[in-house]
Amino acid sequence: MIHFNDVTKVYNGNVKAIENMNFTVEDGELVIMLGPSGCGKTTLLRMVNQLESITDGDIMLNGKSVRHSNKIEMRRNIGYVIQSNGLFPNMNIEDNAMIVPNLLGWDRKKMRDRFNMLMELVGLKPDEYRKRYPHELSGGQQQRVGVARALAADPPVMLMDEPFGALDPIIRTHLQEEFLQIQKELKKTILFVSHDIDEAVKMADKIALLKGGKMMQYAEPAKMLNKPANSFVAEFVGQDRVLKSMSLYTVRDLANALTLKPVMESPDSQNINENLSLRVAISKILNQEADQLIVENDNGTRKGSITLDLIEQFLHREIKESV
Amino acid sequence: MDRTNKTIALIIKLIFWALLIAFFVWAFANNMFSKIWEQPDTFLRLLGEHITIVLLSGAAAVLLAVPLGIFVTRPKFRKSEWLIVGIANLGQTIPSLAVLALAMGFLGIGISAAVVALFVYSLLPILQNTIAGLDSVDENMIDAAKGMGLTNAQILWKIELPNALTSIIAGVRTALVINIGTAALAYLIGAGGLGVWIFTGIRLFDNAFLMSGAVPVTLLAIVIDYLFKWLQFGLVPKGLRLARKAQNS
Repeated sequence: MIHFNDVTKVYNGNVKAIENMNFTVEDGELVIMLGPSGCGKTTLLRMVNQLESITDGDIMLNGKSVRHSNKIEMRRNIGYVIQSNGLFPNMNIEDNAMIVPNLLGWDRKKMRDRFNMLMELVGLKPDEYRKRYPHELSGGQQQRVGVARALAADPPVMLMDEPFGALDPIIRTHLQEEFLQIQKELKKTILFVSHDIDEAVKMADKIALLKGGKMMQYAEPAKMLNKPANSFVAEFVGQDRVLKSMSLYTVRDLANALTLKPVMESPDSQNINENLSLRVAISKILNQEADQLIVENDNGTRKGSITLDLIEQFLHREIKESV
Repeated sequence: MDRTNKTIALIIKLIFWALLIAFFVWAFANNMFSKIWEQPDTFLRLLGEHITIVLLSGAAAVLLAVPLGIFVTRPKFRKSEWLIVGIANLGQTIPSLAVLALAMGFLGIGISAAVVALFVYSLLPILQNTIAGLDSVDENMIDAAKGMGLTNAQILWKIELPNALTSIIAGVRTALVINIGTAALAYLIGAGGLGVWIFTGIRLFDNAFLMSGAVPVTLLAIVIDYLFKWLQFGLVPKGLRLARKAQNS
């Protein structure tokens, strides 16, 4: 758990970078800090592992004050991933990934096993990459190693500073999805900095939207999209926020909440798997002649059909519930 | 384009080697190196003195300039950089002969004055290359290292120094090669070295003395240069060497 308690950061005696920040990242939660550049999100992240000092207030990390902890020891228990991966060119991939276990004095066998396991986890073949050097890897591969390195000593908490920001869109989407899978398995407590609203909606359990060192809204993605707290939030999440929020729900969510319409045979209707998002469903409906989609489960069994009316009903219901 | 460049480089190389061979043929035909065969004991003594002056001054300069370069690149002491580099610069700006003369003023005639003078003279290239090397280490890399819980000493030894090593060794190499040439002047303050034969040759208009002194000095500089190339190859981490190669190709 990371608990921000009235955290304030003042530069040069009068410039307030962070003002009375109060929020909590619960265990196993992925919280994304979002905001325009200069809003203080990176500063706030770097205050957790004390790369930036805290002027006033305190951050509690699993109940312990970061201001009064041993910095070196504390940092070894926090996974840290940065945008420009920061791999060391003088070390091979194995030494890079195992740098923290090495500092902690793990034995060879344990380190090797851990390396093999982590590389499999991030989707790289351990034996192929072990003896290679960072410059021989592509940007995406380097960032995978960066994630493996942060996970090396199995820290309960991770700090990620725009980890996928420097990658091209296709690789970025890929890594985001893979990382979500990893997070589902490992359940780390993660504080993540991003400037990309889509990344935040897709990945976060909660979003912290900052502006000028102040918290604008701290809420689940659906709530932030459907019920922005003020005009800044509404503007930041975008005019298409309702559409964005549709990517948070699957067709199955709708089927569980409402009764699907009966299937009407029509040659124009396409099928849709119930695991796909409502955003995909809307797009498919608009892109065909018929105004219904036939919902199927993984076995191909038809469960009913879905229309724009139904989606609208669901939307109103969800917005009401999240208030 | 690339091919013509290569051809030109090859032609220049061939001309250079031809001239070199012609020179040695001429030198041997005219018995230019006779002093080396006639007085092998003196030759070895002078060569020994020459190498001693260069190595002692060089080693002392490395031992002072590298730690000094590390010191001024620490964030806390960064403000002292101008002062320390300024002082080292002073040693470099004064002509080598004047540095030797000054050293003689303090330490009298002999090898110790020459060692001190060349030591002062080599500080700057080593110091500057150490600072440049440490400064060129990517900030993000250091940030990542700090964030993962490396101590400042671990960051220095595991990250900064290995990544700055190419530049530091290059500085030492430059300093030593310059020193080999400058050490020929040590004769003027009575410190011996191969300068003894060179200056004798100049005074007596005796090419045999001149060549027997000058050519070994040149060869010594070339040998040291190559030695350091090998040292660089051996000491710089493999990953950095490969990265540099990949970047250049």
